[in-house]
Amino acid sequence: MNGPAIHTDALTKRFGTLTAVDQLDLRVERGEVFGYLGPNGAGKTTTIRMLLDFVRPTSGTSQVLGGSGADPAVRARIGYLPADLPVDPRWTAQTLLDFYGDLRGRRDRTWERTLLDRFDLDPSRPVGELSTGNRRKVGIVQAASHRPELLILDEPTSGLDPLLQQEFLILIRELVTDGATVFLSSHVLPEVEALAGRVAILREGVVVAQAGITELRRTARTRIDLRLTVPADPAPFAALPTVVEATADGDLLRLVVEGSVDAVIKTAAALPVEQIITHEADLEDVFLSYYTTQDGGRS
Amino acid sequence: MIVARRMLADRRRATAWWAIGTAALVVFTVALYPAVKDQAQVEDLLKTMPEAFRNMIGYDAAVPMTSPAGYLHARLFSTVAPVLFLVFGIGAGAAAIGGLEETGRLEPLLANPVTRARVAAERYAAAIGLLTLLGVVFAVTLAASGRPAGALAGISAGHLIAAAAAMLALAVLHLSLAYAIGAATGRRGPSVAIPAAVAIGSYLIHSLLPMAEALAPVRYALPWYWYLQRNILAQGLPPAALIAPLAMSGVLFAIGWAAFQRRDLR
Repeated sequence: MNGPAIHTDALTKRFGTLTAVDQLDLRVERGEVFGYLGPNGAGKTTTIRMLLDFVRPTSGTSQVLGGSGADPAVRARIGYLPADLPVDPRWTAQTLLDFYGDLRGRRDRTWERTLLDRFDLDPSRPVGELSTGNRRKVGIVQAASHRPELLILDEPTSGLDPLLQQEFLILIRELVTDGATVFLSSHVLPEVEALAGRVAILREGVVVAQAGITELRRTARTRIDLRLTVPADPAPFAALPTVVEATADGDLLRLVVEGSVDAVIKTAAALPVEQIITHEADLEDVFLSYYTTQDGGRS
Repeated sequence: MIVARRMLADRRRATAWWAIGTAALVVFTVALYPAVKDQAQVEDLLKTMPEAFRNMIGYDAAVPMTSPAGYLHARLFSTVAPVLFLVFGIGAGAAAIGGLEETGRLEPLLANPVTRARVAAERYAAAIGLLTLLGVVFAVTLAASGRPAGALAGISAGHLIAAAAAMLALAVLHLSLAYAIGAATGRRGPSVAIPAAVAIGSYLIHSLLPMAEALAPVRYALPWYWYLQRNILAQGLPPAALIAPLAMSGVLFAIGWAAFQRRDLR
Protein backbone atom coordinates (compact mmCIF):
# COMPACT_ATOMS: atom_id res chain seq x y z
CA MET A 1 0.00 0.00 0.00
CA ASN A 2 3.02 2.26 -0.29
CA GLY A 3 3.91 4.53 -3.14
CA PRO A 4 1.65 6.79 -5.15
CA ALA A 5 -1.68 5.66 -6.61
CA ILE A 6 -0.76 7.10 -9.98
CA HIS A 7 2.72 7.98 -11.11
CA THR A 8 3.68 9.08 -14.60
CA ASP A 9 7.16 9.88 -15.79
CA ALA A 10 7.57 12.01 -18.92
CA LEU A 11 4.46 10.31 -20.32
CA THR A 12 4.00 11.36 -23.94
CA LYS A 13 1.49 10.41 -26.60
CA ARG A 14 1.60 11.53 -30.19
CA PHE A 15 -1.06 10.79 -32.78
CA GLY A 16 0.72 11.44 -36.05
CA THR A 17 1.89 15.03 -35.82
CA LEU A 18 -0.44 15.89 -32.95
CA THR A 19 1.07 15.69 -29.49
CA ALA A 20 -1.92 14.86 -27.30
CA VAL A 21 0.04 14.52 -24.05
CA ASP A 22 3.54 15.93 -23.69
CA GLN A 23 6.10 14.95 -21.02
CA LEU A 24 3.52 14.45 -18.31
CA ASP A 25 4.82 14.02 -14.76
CA LEU A 26 2.00 13.29 -12.36
CA ARG A 27 2.04 11.94 -8.85
CA VAL A 28 -1.26 11.18 -7.20
CA GLU A 29 -0.89 10.08 -3.59
CA ARG A 30 -3.00 7.39 -1.99
CA GLY A 31 -6.17 8.69 -0.43
CA GLU A 32 -6.24 12.07 -2.14
CA VAL A 33 -8.71 13.51 -4.61
CA PHE A 34 -6.74 14.79 -7.54
CA GLY A 35 -8.40 17.15 -9.96
CA TYR A 36 -7.29 16.94 -13.58
CA LEU A 37 -8.50 20.08 -15.24
CA GLY A 38 -8.42 21.32 -18.75
CA PRO A 39 -10.58 22.34 -21.66
CA ASN A 40 -11.92 19.73 -24.04
CA GLY A 41 -9.19 18.34 -26.23
CA ALA A 42 -6.42 19.17 -23.76
CA GLY A 43 -5.41 15.50 -23.47
CA LYS A 44 -7.27 14.49 -20.28
CA THR A 45 -9.00 11.48 -21.78
CA THR A 46 -5.83 10.43 -23.61
CA THR A 47 -4.02 10.44 -20.27
CA ILE A 48 -6.69 8.20 -18.74
CA ARG A 49 -6.59 5.89 -21.75
CA MET A 50 -2.84 5.51 -21.30
CA LEU A 51 -3.26 4.80 -17.57
CA LEU A 52 -5.69 1.99 -18.45
CA ASP A 53 -3.56 0.68 -21.33
CA PHE A 54 -6.17 1.46 -23.99
CA VAL A 55 -3.47 3.37 -25.85
CA ARG A 56 0.26 2.94 -25.46
CA PRO A 57 2.54 5.89 -24.72
CA THR A 58 4.88 7.11 -27.45
CA SER A 59 7.46 7.55 -24.69
CA GLY A 60 7.58 7.73 -20.92
CA THR A 61 6.00 5.42 -18.38
CA SER A 62 3.02 5.24 -16.08
CA GLN A 63 2.28 3.25 -12.96
CA VAL A 64 -1.13 2.68 -11.46
CA LEU A 65 -1.46 1.30 -7.92
CA GLY A 66 2.15 0.24 -8.12
CA GLY A 67 1.70 -1.80 -11.29
CA SER A 68 0.65 -1.60 -14.90
CA GLY A 69 -2.83 -0.55 -15.97
CA ALA A 70 -2.76 -3.57 -18.30
CA ASP A 71 -2.52 -5.99 -15.38
CA PRO A 72 -5.89 -7.54 -14.47
CA ALA A 73 -4.87 -7.63 -10.81
CA VAL A 74 -4.45 -3.85 -10.94
CA ARG A 75 -7.64 -3.28 -12.92
CA ALA A 76 -9.60 -5.26 -10.35
CA ARG A 77 -8.85 -2.45 -7.89
CA ILE A 78 -9.85 0.38 -10.25
CA GLY A 79 -13.30 1.84 -10.83
CA TYR A 80 -13.51 3.60 -14.17
CA LEU A 81 -16.27 5.98 -15.14
CA PRO A 82 -15.90 6.97 -18.79
CA ALA A 83 -17.26 10.28 -20.07
CA ASP A 84 -19.93 8.26 -21.79
CA LEU A 85 -20.75 4.66 -20.87
CA PRO A 86 -21.31 2.92 -24.18
CA VAL A 87 -22.74 -0.51 -23.43
CA ASP A 88 -25.21 -2.68 -25.29
CA PRO A 89 -28.49 -0.73 -25.04
CA ARG A 90 -30.37 -3.96 -24.33
CA TRP A 91 -28.41 -4.54 -21.14
CA THR A 92 -30.06 -3.62 -17.90
CA ALA A 93 -28.16 -2.11 -14.99
CA GLN A 94 -28.40 -5.56 -13.43
CA THR A 95 -26.88 -7.24 -16.51
CA LEU A 96 -23.99 -4.80 -16.33
CA LEU A 97 -23.43 -5.32 -12.60
CA ASP A 98 -23.63 -9.11 -13.00
CA PHE A 99 -21.23 -9.16 -15.94
CA TYR A 100 -18.66 -6.82 -14.42
CA GLY A 101 -19.13 -8.44 -11.01
CA ASP A 102 -18.30 -11.86 -12.48
CA LEU A 103 -15.23 -10.44 -14.21
CA ARG A 104 -14.05 -8.75 -11.03
CA GLY A 105 -14.55 -11.96 -9.14
CA ARG A 106 -15.73 -10.57 -5.82
CA ARG A 107 -19.11 -9.05 -5.26
CA ASP A 108 -20.87 -7.23 -2.48
CA ARG A 109 -24.51 -7.51 -3.46
CA THR A 110 -25.71 -5.55 -0.44
CA TRP A 111 -23.51 -2.64 -1.45
CA GLU A 112 -24.68 -2.90 -5.08
CA ARG A 113 -28.29 -2.82 -3.86
CA THR A 114 -27.51 0.20 -1.68
CA LEU A 115 -25.95 2.05 -4.60
CA LEU A 116 -28.92 1.34 -6.88
CA ASP A 117 -31.28 2.60 -4.18
CA ARG A 118 -29.24 5.70 -3.44
CA PHE A 119 -29.25 6.69 -7.08
CA ASP A 120 -32.85 5.64 -7.46
CA LEU A 121 -32.15 3.24 -10.33
CA ASP A 122 -34.42 0.49 -11.54
CA PRO A 123 -31.94 -2.35 -12.22
CA SER A 124 -34.29 -4.15 -14.59
CA ARG A 125 -34.66 -1.42 -17.21
CA PRO A 126 -32.58 -1.62 -20.40
CA VAL A 127 -29.85 1.00 -20.44
CA GLY A 128 -30.95 2.08 -23.92
CA GLU A 129 -34.29 3.25 -22.55
CA LEU A 130 -32.74 5.42 -19.86
CA SER A 131 -32.28 9.19 -19.96
CA THR A 132 -28.75 10.61 -20.16
CA GLY A 133 -28.78 11.33 -16.44
CA ASN A 134 -29.91 7.83 -15.56
CA ARG A 135 -27.28 6.29 -17.83
CA ARG A 136 -24.76 8.43 -16.00
CA LYS A 137 -25.99 6.96 -12.74
CA VAL A 138 -25.52 3.43 -14.06
CA GLY A 139 -21.94 4.43 -14.88
CA ILE A 140 -21.36 5.73 -11.35
CA VAL A 141 -22.85 2.62 -9.76
CA GLN A 142 -20.74 0.22 -11.85
CA ALA A 143 -17.59 2.26 -11.11
CA ALA A 144 -18.19 2.12 -7.35
CA SER A 145 -19.81 -1.31 -7.02
CA HIS A 146 -16.61 -3.15 -6.12
CA ARG A 147 -15.36 -0.50 -3.68
CA PRO A 148 -12.27 0.22 -5.77
CA GLU A 149 -9.03 1.55 -4.32
CA LEU A 150 -8.73 3.98 -7.18
CA LEU A 151 -11.56 5.75 -8.97
CA ILE A 152 -10.81 7.21 -12.37
CA LEU A 153 -13.65 9.54 -13.24
CA ASP A 154 -13.98 11.31 -16.57
CA GLU A 155 -16.40 14.25 -16.41
CA PRO A 156 -18.43 12.47 -13.71
CA THR A 157 -21.29 14.84 -13.04
CA SER A 158 -22.10 16.04 -16.54
CA GLY A 159 -25.77 15.30 -17.15
CA LEU A 160 -26.63 14.88 -13.47
CA ASP A 161 -29.20 17.14 -11.87
CA PRO A 162 -28.08 19.10 -8.76
CA LEU A 163 -29.69 16.68 -6.30
CA LEU A 164 -27.86 13.73 -7.81
CA GLN A 165 -24.63 15.70 -8.04
CA GLN A 166 -24.96 16.12 -4.29
CA GLU A 167 -25.52 12.38 -3.85
CA PHE A 168 -22.50 11.75 -6.05
CA LEU A 169 -20.32 14.08 -3.97
CA ILE A 170 -21.44 12.34 -0.77
CA LEU A 171 -20.62 8.94 -2.27
CA ILE A 172 -17.16 9.99 -3.40
CA ARG A 173 -16.38 11.55 -0.01
CA GLU A 174 -17.51 8.33 1.64
CA LEU A 175 -15.21 6.25 -0.55
CA VAL A 176 -12.34 8.64 0.11
CA THR A 177 -12.96 8.39 3.86
CA ASP A 178 -12.64 4.63 3.46
CA GLY A 179 -9.25 5.15 1.85
CA ALA A 180 -9.98 5.39 -1.88
CA THR A 181 -7.98 7.59 -4.20
CA VAL A 182 -9.84 9.63 -6.82
CA PHE A 183 -8.52 10.87 -10.14
CA LEU A 184 -11.09 13.36 -11.28
CA SER A 185 -10.87 14.65 -14.81
CA SER A 186 -13.07 17.55 -15.76
CA HIS A 187 -13.47 20.72 -17.72
CA VAL A 188 -16.17 21.90 -15.34
CA LEU A 189 -14.60 23.57 -12.34
CA PRO A 190 -17.19 23.43 -9.57
CA GLU A 191 -17.18 19.63 -9.48
CA VAL A 192 -13.42 19.61 -9.07
CA GLU A 193 -13.46 22.44 -6.56
CA ALA A 194 -15.99 20.58 -4.42
CA LEU A 195 -13.86 17.45 -4.12
CA ALA A 196 -10.25 17.88 -5.04
CA GLY A 197 -7.41 18.67 -2.67
CA ARG A 198 -4.92 19.16 -5.46
CA VAL A 199 -5.30 19.96 -9.11
CA ALA A 200 -3.25 19.89 -12.25
CA ILE A 201 -4.25 22.14 -15.08
CA LEU A 202 -3.65 20.69 -18.50
CA ARG A 203 -3.49 22.70 -21.65
CA GLU A 204 -2.68 21.30 -25.08
CA GLY A 205 -1.16 18.21 -23.52
CA VAL A 206 1.07 20.10 -21.09
CA VAL A 207 0.54 20.60 -17.36
CA VAL A 208 0.65 24.38 -16.95
CA ALA A 209 0.02 24.40 -13.21
CA GLN A 210 -0.05 21.89 -10.40
CA ALA A 211 -1.01 23.05 -6.93
CA GLY A 212 -3.24 22.60 -3.91
CA ILE A 213 -6.71 24.02 -4.19
CA THR A 214 -6.10 26.55 -1.41
CA GLU A 215 -2.86 27.64 -3.00
CA LEU A 216 -4.60 28.16 -6.29
CA ARG A 217 -7.31 30.14 -4.56
CA ARG A 218 -4.63 32.34 -3.02
CA THR A 219 -3.34 33.27 -6.42
CA ALA A 220 -6.85 33.45 -7.75
CA ARG A 221 -8.19 36.61 -9.20
CA THR A 222 -10.89 38.45 -7.36
CA ARG A 223 -13.27 40.93 -8.87
CA ILE A 224 -14.10 43.91 -6.63
CA ASP A 225 -16.53 46.65 -7.58
CA LEU A 226 -16.49 49.88 -5.53
CA ARG A 227 -19.47 52.23 -5.70
CA LEU A 228 -18.38 55.74 -4.79
CA THR A 229 -20.31 58.91 -4.10
CA VAL A 230 -18.04 60.83 -6.49
CA PRO A 231 -17.02 60.08 -10.08
CA ALA A 232 -14.47 57.23 -10.02
CA ASP A 233 -10.84 57.57 -11.09
CA PRO A 234 -9.09 54.23 -11.85
CA ALA A 235 -5.57 55.71 -12.01
CA PRO A 236 -4.43 55.18 -8.36
CA PHE A 237 -5.67 51.60 -8.43
CA ALA A 238 -4.16 50.79 -11.80
CA ALA A 239 -0.80 51.76 -10.34
CA LEU A 240 -0.99 49.02 -7.68
CA PRO A 241 1.04 45.87 -8.51
CA THR A 242 -1.76 43.48 -7.48
CA VAL A 243 -4.38 45.13 -9.71
CA VAL A 244 -4.66 43.48 -13.08
CA GLU A 245 -7.45 45.62 -14.40
CA ALA A 246 -9.09 48.87 -13.30
CA THR A 247 -11.91 50.58 -15.14
CA ALA A 248 -14.38 53.29 -14.21
CA ASP A 249 -18.03 53.46 -15.13
CA GLY A 250 -19.54 56.66 -13.70
CA ASP A 251 -19.32 56.27 -9.93
CA LEU A 252 -18.55 52.57 -10.21
CA LEU A 253 -14.95 51.36 -10.05
CA ARG A 254 -14.35 47.86 -11.41
CA LEU A 255 -11.18 46.09 -10.30
CA VAL A 256 -9.64 42.71 -10.96
CA VAL A 257 -7.14 41.82 -8.23
CA GLU A 258 -4.65 38.99 -8.27
CA GLY A 259 -3.70 37.59 -4.87
CA SER A 260 -4.06 39.81 -1.79
CA VAL A 261 -6.64 42.61 -1.82
CA ASP A 262 -4.88 44.45 1.02
CA ALA A 263 -3.37 47.25 -1.07
CA VAL A 264 -6.69 47.87 -2.79
CA ILE A 265 -8.55 48.23 0.51
CA LYS A 266 -5.90 50.62 1.86
CA THR A 267 -6.13 52.78 -1.24
CA ALA A 268 -9.92 52.72 -1.18
CA ALA A 269 -9.95 53.86 2.47
CA ALA A 270 -9.19 57.40 1.34
CA LEU A 271 -12.25 57.49 -0.92
CA PRO A 272 -15.94 57.97 -0.10
CA VAL A 273 -16.97 54.33 -0.69
CA GLU A 274 -20.68 53.68 -0.57
CA GLN A 275 -20.71 49.96 -1.40
CA ILE A 276 -18.22 47.12 -1.95
CA ILE A 277 -19.29 44.30 -4.22
CA THR A 278 -16.99 41.27 -4.31
CA HIS A 279 -17.26 38.22 -6.45
CA GLU A 280 -15.91 35.17 -4.65
CA ALA A 281 -12.68 33.71 -5.91
CA ASP A 282 -13.64 31.23 -8.52
CA LEU A 283 -11.37 28.55 -9.85
CA GLU A 284 -12.71 29.44 -13.22
CA ASP A 285 -10.81 32.70 -13.05
CA VAL A 286 -7.62 30.91 -12.15
CA PHE A 287 -8.27 28.51 -14.93
CA LEU A 288 -9.05 31.21 -17.45
CA SER A 289 -5.96 33.16 -16.56
CA TYR A 290 -3.83 30.16 -17.41
CA TYR A 291 -5.90 29.54 -20.41
CA THR A 292 -5.85 33.01 -21.90
CA THR A 293 -2.72 34.77 -20.68
CA GLN A 294 -0.12 32.07 -21.03
CA ASP A 295 0.50 31.81 -24.70
CA GLY A 296 3.03 29.10 -24.09
CA GLY A 297 4.59 29.34 -27.54
CA ARG A 298 3.21 25.97 -28.61
CA SER A 299 1.53 25.44 -31.88
CA MET B 1 -15.43 -18.00 -20.34
CA ILE B 2 -17.37 -15.08 -18.86
CA VAL B 3 -16.66 -12.82 -21.84
CA ALA B 4 -17.65 -15.50 -24.35
CA ARG B 5 -20.82 -16.32 -22.44
CA ARG B 6 -21.79 -12.65 -22.47
CA MET B 7 -21.34 -12.45 -26.25
CA LEU B 8 -23.45 -15.59 -26.74
CA ALA B 9 -26.16 -14.11 -24.53
CA ASP B 10 -26.05 -10.78 -26.35
CA ARG B 11 -26.53 -12.46 -29.71
CA ARG B 12 -28.93 -15.20 -28.70
CA ARG B 13 -32.04 -13.53 -30.09
CA ALA B 14 -30.52 -12.72 -33.48
CA THR B 15 -29.03 -16.21 -33.65
CA ALA B 16 -32.41 -17.75 -32.85
CA TRP B 17 -33.91 -15.96 -35.86
CA TRP B 18 -31.05 -17.16 -38.05
CA ALA B 19 -31.63 -20.70 -36.81
CA ILE B 20 -35.33 -20.49 -37.62
CA GLY B 21 -34.54 -19.16 -41.09
CA THR B 22 -31.96 -21.88 -41.71
CA ALA B 23 -34.31 -24.63 -40.57
CA ALA B 24 -37.09 -23.21 -42.74
CA LEU B 25 -34.81 -23.13 -45.76
CA VAL B 26 -33.81 -26.78 -45.23
CA VAL B 27 -37.39 -27.96 -44.72
CA PHE B 28 -38.62 -26.02 -47.76
CA THR B 29 -35.83 -27.36 -49.99
CA VAL B 30 -36.36 -30.94 -48.85
CA ALA B 31 -40.13 -30.67 -49.30
CA LEU B 32 -39.66 -29.76 -52.97
CA TYR B 33 -37.57 -32.84 -53.69
CA PRO B 34 -40.44 -35.28 -54.42
CA ALA B 35 -41.64 -32.94 -57.16
CA VAL B 36 -38.20 -32.90 -58.83
CA LYS B 37 -36.99 -36.46 -58.57
CA ASP B 38 -39.10 -37.90 -61.43
CA GLN B 39 -38.41 -35.11 -63.88
CA ALA B 40 -35.70 -36.51 -66.13
CA GLN B 41 -35.93 -33.52 -68.45
CA VAL B 42 -34.22 -31.34 -65.83
CA GLU B 43 -31.17 -33.46 -66.34
CA ASP B 44 -31.39 -33.14 -70.13
CA LEU B 45 -31.88 -29.41 -69.90
CA LEU B 46 -28.82 -29.00 -67.70
CA LYS B 47 -26.67 -30.94 -70.14
CA THR B 48 -27.36 -28.28 -72.75
CA MET B 49 -26.31 -25.44 -70.44
CA PRO B 50 -22.86 -23.78 -70.60
CA GLU B 51 -20.28 -25.27 -68.28
CA ALA B 52 -19.88 -22.05 -66.29
CA PHE B 53 -23.55 -22.11 -65.43
CA ARG B 54 -23.47 -25.79 -64.49
CA ASN B 55 -20.49 -25.08 -62.27
CA MET B 56 -22.29 -22.25 -60.61
CA ILE B 57 -25.21 -24.37 -59.52
CA GLY B 58 -22.92 -27.20 -58.50
CA TYR B 59 -23.89 -29.62 -61.24
CA ASP B 60 -21.76 -32.68 -61.47
CA ALA B 61 -22.26 -35.06 -64.43
CA ALA B 62 -21.42 -38.05 -62.24
CA VAL B 63 -24.26 -37.27 -59.83
CA PRO B 64 -27.65 -36.82 -61.52
CA MET B 65 -29.58 -33.73 -60.51
CA THR B 66 -32.60 -35.87 -59.76
CA SER B 67 -30.77 -38.03 -57.25
CA PRO B 68 -30.97 -36.87 -53.61
CA ALA B 69 -27.25 -36.08 -53.45
CA GLY B 70 -27.33 -34.19 -56.75
CA TYR B 71 -30.44 -32.27 -55.78
CA LEU B 72 -29.31 -31.28 -52.28
CA HIS B 73 -25.86 -30.32 -53.55
CA ALA B 74 -27.26 -28.11 -56.29
CA ARG B 75 -30.13 -26.58 -54.38
CA LEU B 76 -28.63 -26.30 -50.91
CA PHE B 77 -24.95 -27.07 -50.35
CA SER B 78 -23.44 -25.24 -53.31
CA THR B 79 -25.74 -22.21 -53.37
CA VAL B 80 -28.08 -20.81 -50.74
CA ALA B 81 -26.78 -22.53 -47.63
CA PRO B 82 -23.12 -21.47 -47.86
CA VAL B 83 -24.22 -17.90 -48.62
CA LEU B 84 -26.33 -17.96 -45.47
CA PHE B 85 -23.47 -19.34 -43.40
CA LEU B 86 -20.93 -16.92 -44.85
CA VAL B 87 -23.13 -13.91 -44.15
CA PHE B 88 -23.74 -15.05 -40.58
CA GLY B 89 -20.09 -15.98 -40.06
CA ILE B 90 -18.73 -12.71 -41.42
CA GLY B 91 -21.19 -10.80 -39.22
CA ALA B 92 -20.16 -12.73 -36.10
CA GLY B 93 -16.45 -12.41 -36.89
CA ALA B 94 -16.73 -8.67 -37.49
CA ALA B 95 -18.73 -8.18 -34.29
CA ALA B 96 -16.16 -9.98 -32.13
CA ILE B 97 -13.70 -7.08 -31.94
CA GLY B 98 -14.20 -4.57 -34.79
CA GLY B 99 -17.90 -4.02 -34.20
CA LEU B 100 -17.54 -3.84 -30.43
CA GLU B 101 -14.67 -1.40 -30.62
CA GLU B 102 -16.30 0.87 -33.19
CA THR B 103 -19.33 1.35 -30.95
CA GLY B 104 -17.01 2.23 -28.05
CA ARG B 105 -18.20 -0.75 -26.03
CA LEU B 106 -14.81 -2.41 -25.87
CA GLU B 107 -13.15 0.12 -23.54
CA PRO B 108 -15.58 -0.23 -20.62
CA LEU B 109 -15.14 -4.00 -20.91
CA LEU B 110 -11.35 -3.72 -20.92
CA ALA B 111 -11.40 -1.50 -17.83
CA ASN B 112 -12.33 -4.68 -15.97
CA PRO B 113 -9.78 -7.21 -14.78
CA VAL B 114 -9.39 -8.95 -18.14
CA THR B 115 -6.46 -9.00 -20.52
CA ARG B 116 -6.84 -8.09 -24.15
CA ALA B 117 -5.62 -11.60 -25.01
CA ARG B 118 -8.48 -13.12 -23.05
CA VAL B 119 -11.15 -10.86 -24.51
CA ALA B 120 -9.89 -11.46 -28.05
CA ALA B 121 -9.72 -15.25 -27.59
CA GLU B 122 -13.06 -15.59 -25.85
CA ARG B 123 -14.95 -13.47 -28.33
CA TYR B 124 -13.44 -15.42 -31.23
CA ALA B 125 -14.51 -18.65 -29.54
CA ALA B 126 -18.01 -17.26 -29.04
CA ALA B 127 -18.29 -16.28 -32.72
CA ILE B 128 -17.20 -19.78 -33.74
CA GLY B 129 -19.67 -21.22 -31.25
CA LEU B 130 -22.56 -19.25 -32.72
CA LEU B 131 -21.70 -20.36 -36.24
CA THR B 132 -21.32 -23.97 -35.14
CA LEU B 133 -24.69 -23.80 -33.45
CA LEU B 134 -26.21 -22.71 -36.74
CA GLY B 135 -24.41 -25.59 -38.48
CA VAL B 136 -25.83 -28.09 -36.01
CA VAL B 137 -29.33 -26.70 -36.53
CA PHE B 138 -28.80 -27.07 -40.28
CA ALA B 139 -27.55 -30.66 -40.13
CA VAL B 140 -30.10 -31.82 -37.58
CA THR B 141 -33.00 -30.26 -39.49
CA LEU B 142 -31.77 -31.86 -42.71
CA ALA B 143 -31.38 -35.26 -41.09
CA ALA B 144 -34.80 -35.06 -39.48
CA SER B 145 -36.79 -33.68 -42.40
CA GLY B 146 -34.88 -35.31 -45.27
CA ARG B 147 -35.80 -38.90 -44.63
CA PRO B 148 -39.61 -38.60 -44.87
CA ALA B 149 -39.25 -36.78 -48.19
CA GLY B 150 -36.84 -39.37 -49.52
CA ALA B 151 -34.26 -36.62 -50.00
CA LEU B 152 -31.57 -38.52 -48.09
CA ALA B 153 -31.84 -41.82 -49.95
CA GLY B 154 -28.37 -43.13 -50.67
CA ILE B 155 -26.64 -40.48 -48.55
CA SER B 156 -24.82 -41.88 -45.54
CA ALA B 157 -24.95 -40.07 -42.22
CA GLY B 158 -21.19 -39.68 -42.45
CA HIS B 159 -21.38 -37.93 -45.80
CA LEU B 160 -24.15 -35.66 -44.56
CA ILE B 161 -22.12 -34.62 -41.55
CA ALA B 162 -19.00 -34.25 -43.71
CA ALA B 163 -20.79 -31.95 -46.17
CA ALA B 164 -22.17 -29.80 -43.36
CA ALA B 165 -18.74 -29.69 -41.71
CA ALA B 166 -17.02 -28.64 -44.93
CA MET B 167 -19.56 -25.87 -45.44
CA LEU B 168 -19.03 -24.78 -41.84
CA ALA B 169 -15.25 -24.79 -42.38
CA LEU B 170 -15.67 -22.49 -45.39
CA ALA B 171 -17.74 -20.12 -43.24
CA VAL B 172 -15.24 -20.35 -40.35
CA LEU B 173 -12.52 -19.23 -42.74
CA HIS B 174 -14.45 -16.11 -43.71
CA LEU B 175 -15.43 -15.51 -40.09
CA SER B 176 -11.75 -15.65 -39.17
CA LEU B 177 -10.82 -13.20 -41.88
CA ALA B 178 -13.53 -10.79 -40.64
CA TYR B 179 -12.27 -11.29 -37.08
CA ALA B 180 -8.64 -10.66 -37.99
CA ILE B 181 -9.43 -7.46 -39.90
CA GLY B 182 -11.65 -6.21 -37.07
CA ALA B 183 -9.04 -7.07 -34.45
CA ALA B 184 -6.28 -5.36 -36.41
CA THR B 185 -8.22 -2.21 -37.35
CA GLY B 186 -10.90 -1.80 -34.69
CA ARG B 187 -13.41 -1.07 -37.40
CA ARG B 188 -16.48 -2.95 -38.48
CA GLY B 189 -16.82 -1.69 -42.07
CA PRO B 190 -13.70 -3.27 -43.56
CA SER B 191 -14.09 -6.40 -41.48
CA VAL B 192 -17.44 -7.01 -43.20
CA ALA B 193 -16.64 -5.62 -46.63
CA ILE B 194 -13.30 -7.32 -47.28
CA PRO B 195 -14.37 -10.90 -46.45
CA ALA B 196 -17.59 -10.37 -48.42
CA ALA B 197 -15.57 -9.17 -51.41
CA VAL B 198 -13.17 -12.09 -51.02
CA ALA B 199 -16.07 -14.56 -50.90
CA ILE B 200 -17.80 -13.13 -53.95
CA GLY B 201 -14.59 -12.57 -55.92
CA SER B 202 -13.19 -16.03 -55.26
CA TYR B 203 -16.56 -17.59 -56.04
CA LEU B 204 -16.67 -15.88 -59.42
CA ILE B 205 -13.09 -16.86 -60.18
CA HIS B 206 -13.82 -20.41 -59.13
CA SER B 207 -16.87 -20.75 -61.34
CA LEU B 208 -15.45 -18.97 -64.38
CA LEU B 209 -11.87 -20.18 -64.30
CA PRO B 210 -12.43 -23.66 -65.76
CA MET B 211 -12.91 -21.96 -69.11
CA ALA B 212 -9.36 -20.64 -69.07
CA GLU B 213 -7.21 -23.75 -69.10
CA ALA B 214 -3.91 -22.00 -68.45
CA LEU B 215 -5.17 -20.49 -65.20
CA ALA B 216 -6.63 -23.73 -63.88
CA PRO B 217 -3.97 -24.20 -61.15
CA VAL B 218 -5.15 -20.96 -59.52
CA ARG B 219 -8.30 -22.82 -58.54
CA TYR B 220 -6.46 -25.02 -56.11
CA ALA B 221 -5.82 -21.96 -53.94
CA LEU B 222 -9.48 -21.02 -53.73
CA PRO B 223 -11.54 -21.89 -50.63
CA TRP B 224 -14.55 -22.44 -52.86
CA TYR B 225 -12.60 -25.04 -54.81
CA TRP B 226 -11.70 -26.92 -51.63
CA TYR B 227 -15.35 -27.02 -50.75
CA LEU B 228 -16.97 -27.53 -54.16
CA GLN B 229 -14.38 -29.72 -55.88
CA ARG B 230 -16.74 -32.66 -55.54
CA ASN B 231 -20.19 -33.58 -54.32
CA ILE B 232 -19.39 -34.50 -50.72
CA LEU B 233 -22.87 -35.96 -50.14
CA ALA B 234 -22.27 -38.52 -52.89
CA GLN B 235 -18.51 -38.91 -52.94
CA GLY B 236 -17.33 -38.18 -49.43
CA LEU B 237 -15.03 -35.60 -47.94
CA PRO B 238 -11.80 -34.52 -49.60
CA PRO B 239 -9.52 -33.90 -46.59
CA ALA B 240 -8.49 -30.50 -47.95
CA ALA B 241 -12.08 -29.26 -47.60
CA LEU B 242 -11.64 -29.36 -43.83
CA ILE B 243 -7.92 -29.09 -43.23
CA ALA B 244 -7.11 -26.19 -45.54
CA PRO B 245 -9.79 -23.72 -44.36
CA LEU B 246 -9.35 -24.61 -40.69
CA ALA B 247 -5.57 -24.28 -40.86
CA MET B 248 -5.92 -20.89 -42.54
CA SER B 249 -8.50 -19.89 -39.94
CA GLY B 250 -6.01 -20.73 -37.23
CA VAL B 251 -3.41 -18.51 -38.87
CA LEU B 252 -5.89 -15.64 -39.31
CA PHE B 253 -7.00 -15.90 -35.68
CA ALA B 254 -3.39 -15.82 -34.49
CA ILE B 255 -2.65 -12.74 -36.61
CA GLY B 256 -5.73 -10.88 -35.38
CA TRP B 257 -5.20 -11.93 -31.78
CA ALA B 258 -1.57 -10.76 -31.79
CA ALA B 259 -2.25 -7.52 -33.67
CA PHE B 260 -5.03 -6.61 -31.25
CA GLN B 261 -2.68 -6.79 -28.28
CA ARG B 262 -0.05 -4.59 -29.87
CA ARG B 263 -2.06 -1.64 -31.08
CA ASP B 264 -3.86 1.36 -29.61
CA LEU B 265 -7.60 1.12 -29.26
CA ARG B 266 -9.50 3.54 -31.42
